[in-house]
Amino acid sequence: MPTLLIAILTLGAVGLFLALPGGRADTRRVGWVVLAAAGAVLLALLLQLVPGADPRGLFAGFALVAVFAALRVITHRKPVYSALYFILLIFAVTGLLVLLEATFLSMALVIIYAGAILVTYVFVIMLAQQSRPAPYDVKSREPVWGCLAGFLLLILLARQIELFLVPAQRTPLPAPVAEAAGTIEAVGVPLLTEYVVAIQIIGLLLLAALVGAIAIARRRATPRVESEGDE
Amino acid sequence: MTLLADATTTILPLRLYATLPLWPLLGALLVGLLVVLRRKASATHWPVVLGVAASATLAIVLFLDLPKSTTNAALQEHWKSGVSASQRAGELYAVFTGGASRAPALTYTLYNWISLGDQSSLCNQHWLAVNFYFDGLTAVMLLFVTVVSTIIVVYSIGYMRDHHGQPERGYERFFAFLGLFVFSMATLVLSGNFILLYLGWELVGLCSYLLIGFYYPRPAAAAAAKKAFIVNRIGDLGFALGIFTLYWFLTAGADPLVQHGENPLDYATVFKYVGALEPWQITTVALLLMCGALGKSAQFPLHVWLPDAMEGPTPVSALIHAATMVTAGIYMIARCTPIFGASPLALNVILVLGLLGAVLTATMAAAQYDMKRILAYSTISQLAFMFVGLGCRVPDSAVFHVFTHAWFKALLFLGAGSVMHALSGVIDLRRFSGLRDVLPQTCRTMLIGCLALAGFPLLSGFWSKDELVHAAFERHPVAGLILLATAGLTAYYTFRMFFLCFHGELRLPDDAAQPHEAPLVMIVPLWLLTLGAIFAGYLGVTFAAGGESFLGFIRPHGLLHDYLHDSTIGTPEHGHGGLWLMYVSALVALGGIGLAWARFGQAPETDPDARALGGLWRLWHAKYYFDEIYDYAFVRPLRNLGRVFSATDDYGLDGVIWLVAAVPRSLSFLLHFLQRGALQGYALGMVVGVAVLLLLWNLIGV
Amino acid sequence: MLLPYLLLGAILFVLGLIGFVTRRNLIIMFLCTEMMFQGIILNLVAFGRYPLKGAPTFDGQVFALFLIAVAAAEAALALALVVLLYRYQGTLDANAYRMLKDE
Repeated sequence: MPTLLIAILTLGAVGLFLALPGGRADTRRVGWVVLAAAGAVLLALLLQLVPGADPRGLFAGFALVAVFAALRVITHRKPVYSALYFILLIFAVTGLLVLLEATFLSMALVIIYAGAILVTYVFVIMLAQQSRPAPYDVKSREPVWGCLAGFLLLILLARQIELFLVPAQRTPLPAPVAEAAGTIEAVGVPLLTEYVVAIQIIGLLLLAALVGAIAIARRRATPRVESEGDE
Repeated sequence: MTLLADATTTILPLRLYATLPLWPLLGALLVGLLVVLRRKASATHWPVVLGVAASATLAIVLFLDLPKSTTNAALQEHWKSGVSASQRAGELYAVFTGGASRAPALTYTLYNWISLGDQSSLCNQHWLAVNFYFDGLTAVMLLFVTVVSTIIVVYSIGYMRDHHGQPERGYERFFAFLGLFVFSMATLVLSGNFILLYLGWELVGLCSYLLIGFYYPRPAAAAAAKKAFIVNRIGDLGFALGIFTLYWFLTAGADPLVQHGENPLDYATVFKYVGALEPWQITTVALLLMCGALGKSAQFPLHVWLPDAMEGPTPVSALIHAATMVTAGIYMIARCTPIFGASPLALNVILVLGLLGAVLTATMAAAQYDMKRILAYSTISQLAFMFVGLGCRVPDSAVFHVFTHAWFKALLFLGAGSVMHALSGVIDLRRFSGLRDVLPQTCRTMLIGCLALAGFPLLSGFWSKDELVHAAFERHPVAGLILLATAGLTAYYTFRMFFLCFHGELRLPDDAAQPHEAPLVMIVPLWLLTLGAIFAGYLGVTFAAGGESFLGFIRPHGLLHDYLHDSTIGTPEHGHGGLWLMYVSALVALGGIGLAWARFGQAPETDPDARALGGLWRLWHAKYYFDEIYDYAFVRPLRNLGRVFSATDDYGLDGVIWLVAAVPRSLSFLLHFLQRGALQGYALGMVVGVAVLLLLWNLIGV
Repeated sequence: MLLPYLLLGAILFVLGLIGFVTRRNLIIMFLCTEMMFQGIILNLVAFGRYPLKGAPTFDGQVFALFLIAVAAAEAALALALVVLLYRYQGTLDANAYRMLKDE
């Protein structure tokens, strides 16, 4: 399996390199084909590991959507689309979280990420939008090195995870969690008892971020627009 | 009023007298305030004049107000009797411990200052207080310090201006320093313990440094200020060590002399217990303290700074030579008579150094041309007279001489300043003569000052000097003869200076503007000091017709001696039996003046002494080459040593540090090319780094 | 059961990383960091659900919540800075801000 995994991921790297913005349209299309092939093999491999028919199908669907959305986020030439694909990614992750019986967290993720953070992103993207595609969106930066380093890391991580989990896989699966798992109560009790100090600190951090954001955004920067979009 | 007598108190509260040093300080601070407020410089002298005048008023009132007390008969007997030294120390101890049950001297304690000793236990705990002593010695010292200072400050108003009456640059600074100087000296004199004394002592040194270097852009002035400060530092080191060892001897050991709750460095405590110390301990302390006095009073081995101090403005010279600074050494030894009196060795050392210094500096003075330098050497010589007096166990006579000397020496300096003022700063006697008619007032006042210094009968210098010569004769005939000869030499060189300056044909330096008599604000102080030069001596004699008296109506030993006896000095009544000496010394003084008249009466342009004495004169003129000897023996070796250390520091230590710094600097120079400012480049670097780490981990295996 | 989630989390993380390194638009770069957060959240929750030892706990979910809060704070500050920079130079190109380096 390691050899296969390495091959798949290398394939993915090549595909991603080709699909990244900067090349011609047909090379990008080739890249997508390669990526799809790699993704299909990977999914087939992963599905073997998921027991049971029902979770397997759901996991396969959500994982496919998640990886596809992630690829589109980093390959799309228009920032608005990137943001919208990111929302898709959030939904896919939400589905995976439900599979993991983290219902409250999945809802929180949708509300906070899709509802709040991404909306802000979209606002800012709109604010900074230009009439034609900006040159810095069209061409990516050092895609060879980025893909190479990233997939090297991914291969190493996968290998590490595998090495790490081989003994663990032999152990019997943990007992299924009770119906109440992942509800507000189940997450809230440790949050407000064991981690009460951490939650205070997080609150303070949010306050500081709020104050900082206001202080930064209020500042009147002297516009220094020399030449829009060099290169 | 003192340790030695039944205490009564002053009419006015002691609190009031304790403010005495404060007024000049306030004046000095106010000058600073005026400068900040940018008032006109020409009016900035007022705060200091008023402050110093307030001090002088208080000092006069204190002098009159101080209660008279009966002198301690036991102590007088003890001084008169010819018992041996060790016996003497024991008796002294008995006298002081016997007096301890009585009320202590008039002391005003401001607050507890420093806590000493073992704080954890209740026993052996001491406090050093800020306290002031009021006794006869203090009153006499304060009297002339503040009054003469006031006169000098008033004189400075006129002196520190140019020909158009405009204040010199630094006018405000000058007056602020004068105020600080008087404050320091008053603190020194009033202090009731050794620590406060040391504080005033150092403050006086600082002020002398500031004032001698007043014209600091001139290299000679800066060098002179440094020299004064450093030479004083040498003496002060001894002084500080003396205080330390005194404290050590008094408090060390399982059963220390100083009891719980007593202030170990208070005069009262020290003088109470000093007799109980071993003779060697007393001698050690006395010799160390004497080092301080040698430096501050510019005595023989450490005398070199005083002539150079002439670089400061003339009123400063007057202040240093007459009222403050150099008198501090005499005062300290007089104050510490219970310590010095118990150490015959220290007294002998003081005596010998005094005799040496008197002769050496008097001869130096006889071969100088700079008026202020002649006066400076004469100051050292006169201070040496006082040292002889201290060494002969007559501290009251020494203080009497300090008292009279202050008036006529201030007068002489201010007169020389007047000459300088008239001649645009020229002071070299070879370049002018015959100023008699140009500066009539200055000439007359200077004449009286010179007569007083020469010991002319009935003027103030005569009485005090005669007492010292008499004491020297009683101690040892050789000492007396040396002093007598030096007194004659004093009269000779004083009038050599006077004749060269004021007699003969009128000659003026080429570069001098039209010489003119000084303004009234300078002349009046001169005449006031002239009064002092004539009459100050009469505070130390009594008028009594018949019997053993000079000219049939004057006897030595007067009001001042009463005051000084009342203080802790505890010197015997003396001065009787020296009547013949008075006539002799009067004759010697007249002889010196006559000889000077014969040789310099017409102010010859070539010095007859230089031809007659040849090599000896050149030796005198070169000040016995003391500066050169010190330069070769101490200054240069130390400077070379300093160069070695400096080079070691610059190249050795700094080189190592440079090397240590150079390694990371060169490494970072190589690395700085990696910083290109591209954020993603850094991120890529991190990714590669993590990947490489994981790879290594994988290869090595977990 | 743990392995597919971990692998998926790693894929999301690395894709975000690659996006961060290769894309030049500042907003997309920050979006990519959010994507990396998604991978980590997935990891945390999966570890909480299928621990290597013992019974499942909710600690993973609690940490994921904290992570969301941190992401929100980061987004607020980062977007404020982006707006400021855009006002300053009129471009979102990360290369245009190289002059922020020391020297």
